[in-house]
Amino acid sequence: MRKRGVGPEAPRAVLSSEGLQALCRARARLLAGGDEPLRIRRLAAESGLSPYHFIRRFKAVFGETPHQVRIRSRLERAKELLLCSEESVTEISLRLGFSSLGTFSARFARQVGMPPSRFRRTAARLGPEAVSCLGLMAGEPG
Amino acid sequence: MRIKLASIFVEDQARALAFYTDALGFVKRQDFPVGQYRWITVTSPEGPEDLELSLEPNENPAARTFQEALFKQGIPVTAFEVDDLGTEYRRLRERGVVFTREPTDSGPVRIAIFADTCGNLVQLYQKRG
Repeated sequence: MRKRGVGPEAPRAVLSSEGLQALCRARARLLAGGDEPLRIRRLAAESGLSPYHFIRRFKAVFGETPHQVRIRSRLERAKELLLCSEESVTEISLRLGFSSLGTFSARFARQVGMPPSRFRRTAARLGPEAVSCLGLMAGEPG
Repeated sequence: MRIKLASIFVEDQARALAFYTDALGFVKRQDFPVGQYRWITVTSPEGPEDLELSLEPNENPAARTFQEALFKQGIPVTAFEVDDLGTEYRRLRERGVVFTREPTDSGPVRIAIFADTCGNLVQLYQKRG
């Protein structure tokens, strides 16, 4: 029978200073992104927690799950690339590791309020001084 | 000159409003759009009723840097007074709030510290004696 709340992989009731640091490091790595896919399992192990407890605690401390942080950070990067690079929407979607163009467009539209292609066209039409405002607007939670 | 307003930076205004009302029990006082953001304030049902806490967006990178640095160092951005720290501690724990310090005596007060889900640590204190 499995004991609940016992053992090194269950979190202590109060988050220790080391535990807080570990969660902050995990979050910083999720936000930094990069090419290598970060496995939640590994981040959890580095925090000394089981994946289940890691995800729960992460959400209770930061208000969003590790997965949500990772997606948000990728979408931020996508906005930069749409505004500042010549890469096609498909290329950007592949580069950021989305499983398909459809997934990327849908996630982007949900957070930003318009699909990637329209975001790029709108920014181009409004000119550079509007870009920073658009960036801010796009940062708003949907 | 009076102090009628205090403010804290929050990572996500909608999430912050939910946490400060649903979890902490404050009451929404003002909420209207300002550009792409909102002007949101809450008050405590325990008073003073005209002292408002504003939940400001942390969109400025400098605000985020400030918030993250304090958070990592375990330093609270503000503190709320409570009548019974033990009761508040248990109530908030039941709502899934994570504490980084359980109720501890500290000189003239008893304190505890929790994460507000919006990038801040917040201290609760009860006057002793």
